[in-house]
Amino acid sequence: MLFYTAQRLVLSVVIVMVAVSILTLMLHVVPGDPAVMILGPRATPELIERTREAMGLDRPLPVQVAMFFANILRGDLGQDVFTGRAVSQIVLEQLPYTMILISVAILWSAACGIALGAYSALRRNTWLDTLSGVVSVGTISIPAFVMALYSVLIFAVWLGWLPAIGAGDGFWDGITHLILPAFAIGVAWVGYVSRIVRASMLEVMTQPHVRMARAFGLPERRITRSHILKIAVLPAVTLIGTGVAHLFSAAVFVEVIFARPGIGALLVGAVNERNYPIVLGAVLITTGIIVLATLISDLVVALLDPRQREEF
Amino acid sequence: MTDTAHRTGLGRRTFLQTAAATGLAAATMPLGSRIWAQSGKVLRVSSYADIDALDPGFYQNGYNVDVMNCIYSKLVRYKPGREWDWELEAAEEIEQVDDTHIRFKLKEGLMFTGGYGEMTAEDVKFSFERVLEHDSPVKSDWGPLDHVEITGKYEGVIVLSEAFQPLWTITLPYGTGHIVSKKAVMEATENGGNFGMEPPAYSGPYVLQEWKPNQYVHLVRNPDWKGETPGFDEIRILPMDDTKTAERAYEAGDLDYTEITLSSLADYRGNEPENTVIEEYPSLYYVWLGMNLDNPALQDENLRKAIQHAINAEQIIDAAYFGEAAPSTGLIAPGLPGHRENPSVPVAGDLDKAREYLEAAGGPPSEPLTIDALNATVWKTMAEVIQAQLSQIGIQTQINVQDSGSFWTLGMESEGERWKDMQLVLNRFSMLPDPYYATSWFVSDQVGIWNWERFSNEEFDELHKLALSETDTETRAEMYRKMQDLMEATGAYKFITHEGTPVMYREGLEPALRPDGRPLFIDFEGEV
Repeated sequence: MLFYTAQRLVLSVVIVMVAVSILTLMLHVVPGDPAVMILGPRATPELIERTREAMGLDRPLPVQVAMFFANILRGDLGQDVFTGRAVSQIVLEQLPYTMILISVAILWSAACGIALGAYSALRRNTWLDTLSGVVSVGTISIPAFVMALYSVLIFAVWLGWLPAIGAGDGFWDGITHLILPAFAIGVAWVGYVSRIVRASMLEVMTQPHVRMARAFGLPERRITRSHILKIAVLPAVTLIGTGVAHLFSAAVFVEVIFARPGIGALLVGAVNERNYPIVLGAVLITTGIIVLATLISDLVVALLDPRQREEF
Repeated sequence: MTDTAHRTGLGRRTFLQTAAATGLAAATMPLGSRIWAQSGKVLRVSSYADIDALDPGFYQNGYNVDVMNCIYSKLVRYKPGREWDWELEAAEEIEQVDDTHIRFKLKEGLMFTGGYGEMTAEDVKFSFERVLEHDSPVKSDWGPLDHVEITGKYEGVIVLSEAFQPLWTITLPYGTGHIVSKKAVMEATENGGNFGMEPPAYSGPYVLQEWKPNQYVHLVRNPDWKGETPGFDEIRILPMDDTKTAERAYEAGDLDYTEITLSSLADYRGNEPENTVIEEYPSLYYVWLGMNLDNPALQDENLRKAIQHAINAEQIIDAAYFGEAAPSTGLIAPGLPGHRENPSVPVAGDLDKAREYLEAAGGPPSEPLTIDALNATVWKTMAEVIQAQLSQIGIQTQINVQDSGSFWTLGMESEGERWKDMQLVLNRFSMLPDPYYATSWFVSDQVGIWNWERFSNEEFDELHKLALSETDTETRAEMYRKMQDLMEATGAYKFITHEGTPVMYREGLEPALRPDGRPLFIDFEGEV
């Protein structure tokens, strides 16, 4: 297990470095000049040129990439080109909002999805199973931003139950501001997870060890919990691990719609403004988190199913 | 234990029922609004972007100035209302002695926060001259400033090297006119340069209590403020890039005042949210279709004029702005000197004339022309309407939409060769209340920078220079009208609209707005 973990860690670092290098190249291929964006229309060409030099944008691209990684090793992600604040500080200010949003979305959608999937599998071919299938597929097909728009209209504008924008101040206010965004990005995952769990459970239910457990006269509830569900949730764990990347994408739209702080909203603004240090810093952190989430899900699967680590 | 619980009514079932009821009650309250409301008389407003510069000597963009207006004082400020005018703020007296000298006297007792003492003429001199000394990107706001002469503790003279009319309409009442504490800035920066996002001292009716990036700007009353008490104890400015989001936030009760989109204005007519007032203000922005005069496909003046005459601005406005904006006749909006009542090219176009010009040009181009536009709905719609209008006379076009970072460097020579391929471009520039601000982007020096049509005309350049120092308003206005005629005569410009600034706010609130609809928060009054 230790060797397996070490292998995955090395691979994760390589993935992050490759992703950031590709992004750096892409940023420089796309037209747009950060110096012009910073200084605005009234700056003189001389001042724009001096600013470019000060930002190191006049240097060859490989040098800029190398400098970025060298700075990372020193713990320096650079400075926001507009406010002059440290990128690490800005990203770390915004990151918790997105992490909380994504975590809450994963938790509630996984809990509901697993319960719904298990229920459907156990009551296969009943009308409740059919209804669950329709609801699951329905939620999967609705994009998060559409869900966000309608949830704001219904619960904030029409009913006035929940706030429409922002992240709130304090714990309880923060919770009320979290409900709609977490609902919007998590609802599709209820469908994904329930479909996966249902299919997986139906497969596991027919396996010999389950028949054996029944032959031994174990209670049905215990068979379901310990012998079926424990194995059936493995594909869902993998799905959730890789799904973190999708949730980050969904968070971009949702944070804009709810005018909520977070990495997504930060990235959208930074890309439009060609605020390279912020884009690179934010992508570095999010890529790291996505890779970490995938790593954790792989390790959890390996922990639950020893065959996985043997196969690696 | 169990018995006790039963006796006090705290059984599992009762507990769950109580918790559920409490949760429901909590969920049905717009909690965020209540928490803010409890802390005093709070004004909650939206802004189209988050602040990114609080040093008035080095600011960019109007959303920063909205906050600066609250936390610093200026000699004079814009007067709220429907007509452009200014009024005294930190100055007790101010007068133009001659074309190049402006004498001022500060009010006594205006204090900087943080123990930095009283505002003096020394602070005024420092605030204005540092813009030039540190080569600020907005030093053009100060035009021909030579120096500020101190004649007393509170008195001084602004000395210009030549007359500069925008001084009264832009420089003094807007961004670079704000006064900062010399002592505080020197301590904070050592050389008096840009202090960025951390003002070392405040001199306005509010101070910056907290800035949570991408969340809010929280302003509270300045305890050292000796002037007129502002209408609200606190102001919360919430940045929202998308105005539609601000509209939903307003409808949900999270805002008291917001700008709205022109497309929503049509929806809100007769169907406005409860207890809401909707007002429309004209905007100074100008939208036009430009043509690259150096592009080989657009060399023929007759072809350019055919395009000019084939475009119907009214149809574009109907489609893109739901008919809620007026067509423009040039760069300069109504209410400013130099506005033209009638353009030489009719706003609705003239298809017959367009066909005549096209025939004179030898027919439509063999290859489709490109229209570059921003990747927002309103621009795509405009481009599509123009595409349809040009196809009426046989000119085929292809629309290229781009994100803002890419679009705003399209015509810049410093960004490579893209400007050479640019043909038609849908553009929109912001504007301040002086015509010089519009024409300054179209002088020959701006070719390849912001003058993307690459229009270069000696008479235009000369008029632009002369108009800056022309003191007779009507003569000056005539100069700007002539300059727009010269632009239009090239065939490279089709003016479309100045858009508009509709706003909505709660009944009982008395917002103070500039004539172009921009808010002046310190003058907001009333109840929310």
